[in-house]
Amino acid sequence: MSIMSYNGGSVVAMAGKNCVAIASDKRFGIQYSTVSMEFPKIFEMGPQLYLGLAGLATDVQTVSQRLRFRLNLYELQENRHIKPKTFSSMVSNLLYEKRFGPYFIEPIIAGLDPKTSEPFISVMDLIGQPCISKDFAVIGTANEQLYGMCETLWQPDLEPSDLFETISQALMNAFDRDSYSGWGAVVYVIEKDKVTVRELKTRMD
Amino acid sequence: MFETRPSSVQHPTEHRFNPYEMNGGTIVGVAGEDFAVVASDTRLSEGYSILSRDNPHLYQVLPKTVMGSVGFHGDCITFNKTLQIRLRMYEYENNKKASTPAVAQLVSTMLYSRRFFPYYVNTIIAGLTNDGQGCVYSYDPVGSYEREVYRAGGSSAALIQPLLDSQLGQKNQGSFELNRSYTVKMSKEEVVALVKDIYTSATERDIYTGDAVFINVITKDGVVTEHFKLRRD
Amino acid sequence: MEHPKQQTQNPMVTGTSVLGIQFDGGVLIAADLLGSYGSMAQMRQLQRVFKVNEKTVIGASGDYSDYQFLLEKIMQKVNQDNCLNDGYVYKPKQLFSWCTRVLYNRRSNFDPLWNRLVIAGLENEQPFLGCVDLLGNAYQAPCMATGYGNYLAVPIMREFLEKHNNRITEAQARDVIDRCMKLLYYRDGRAYDKYSIAIVTREGSRVEECKELQTNWSVASQISSYD
Repeated sequence: MSIMSYNGGSVVAMAGKNCVAIASDKRFGIQYSTVSMEFPKIFEMGPQLYLGLAGLATDVQTVSQRLRFRLNLYELQENRHIKPKTFSSMVSNLLYEKRFGPYFIEPIIAGLDPKTSEPFISVMDLIGQPCISKDFAVIGTANEQLYGMCETLWQPDLEPSDLFETISQALMNAFDRDSYSGWGAVVYVIEKDKVTVRELKTRMD
Repeated sequence: MFETRPSSVQHPTEHRFNPYEMNGGTIVGVAGEDFAVVASDTRLSEGYSILSRDNPHLYQVLPKTVMGSVGFHGDCITFNKTLQIRLRMYEYENNKKASTPAVAQLVSTMLYSRRFFPYYVNTIIAGLTNDGQGCVYSYDPVGSYEREVYRAGGSSAALIQPLLDSQLGQKNQGSFELNRSYTVKMSKEEVVALVKDIYTSATERDIYTGDAVFINVITKDGVVTEHFKLRRD
Repeated sequence: MEHPKQQTQNPMVTGTSVLGIQFDGGVLIAADLLGSYGSMAQMRQLQRVFKVNEKTVIGASGDYSDYQFLLEKIMQKVNQDNCLNDGYVYKPKQLFSWCTRVLYNRRSNFDPLWNRLVIAGLENEQPFLGCVDLLGNAYQAPCMATGYGNYLAVPIMREFLEKHNNRITEAQARDVIDRCMKLLYYRDGRAYDKYSIAIVTREGSRVEECKELQTNWSVASQISSYD
């Protein structure tokens, strides 16, 4: 039994035209039994910056809090919002500090550049090897299913409304084939001047 | 502490011969109203090397019944050979060819006969029912089986199955009605086009799938085969 | 104390890569003459490719004694064929299928024949090239190689065949095999510079006299910093 799939959960992010979206399921379980259907895996890290964490639930919370702490220090010191790329390095650093006793999580960072509003998506393994992607990124117990969905549904330059539809369909159909993920979903669509949060009604089995 | 043997006969690390191997490959089956489509890629792998770029995992077991089988290639070959012999025996004993549902039951029984040393294979049977409807059956390695509308099997199954749910099963698209039909309401041209798209996507992310896809369309007139090239890296 | 019966041996004297390639009107296979005992080059005149009959040849890598055992069985069958004298001989596909069954059944009894066989011949005038491994895996391809040849020689042969649209002459096939054997001798520590070819054409099959690779080690003196 892998620690990475002890609690279950999946996160996906997609880039669109001047927008990005990030979505996750809401399940928190212990192996095959579902404990909660209100477990957020996406964390707001700035007005247009979001972090998704999938893996061991305790580490999801610890890492999100430690990153929040480091981010607060950064913003106090610099007196400005962090760039997604810089934040990505921050996450990578935090994870690599624990190279030989890692947090059992994989992160996705999705956001828009505070100045240029350029879409940004990056994904890492549990020891912080980053991969910046132009199209989409997937992590979690339904990662294979998500790859299959995203590889077919995603196309370049999606408008925010189409991006929402695409990422929602990709996530829902993916986690319906994964017993460790599901039980509700939340989708963030990040645009230059607004962030839309939607909760999805999904199959609850 | 928990020793069962006296220490004098303790052996050093025992290297046990592993009789199985995973040779990759992906199969997809779809049942239509008066046709069935079954497809497979043509790659045969061993570890990180490609043994063959031209080895479809489809076996035509009867004129209108096709079996897709992937997993351990040695078991695939053996299972296919044994099945062909059993079907020939069926024909001699009953003076007719087996129907696809009969083949489906036979495959299950044969897989179960090796319950304690299983054939390491994922199997899909596609064909037509006695009243001419398309039918697809899928199996686990030890023979539990089910008639289904669509099914993906093999190394890319996890990538493809949710896609079939979305595109063929119309899942998560507002309708909560239970679908009791065993077939999709699409034309065979639409299904074939979808299968090509699906394999193109799966090939992007799965190293054990690629080179080309063989698509068999089964109708009352027989089997038509189509060849579609995929990326070869 | 009863021991569970230990059946699975390890390979003892082994042969390395066997190469095979189809050409217009025939097929040829090649293997070097070395029998290795672990890392020791023990037997240096060990024939690994054999003629089965006028339509079929066979070669193998892996354990040589297992190969000899299998060859003995094959030759018994060939002898039977000859005694019947009805003009019927084993065709490559039939022999290939038979070998597949033998190797698969041995693996199923957890007592594998530790080999990878290459079977080549002419089946109804068409070139045939097939491979079976110790698990009973079997496949056919226009070119193939076992062992390190699978990593080093197959890419070269595939590229060559693709460039010529899968239609090459016997001379071209010989040339590409020679190049591959040379590469293997340079890069595979268990390979040898003497090899023999078994070839099947419409004229029949034969195992040719051994060839010696023309290798160039002039750069060897320039190599430094390995100590």
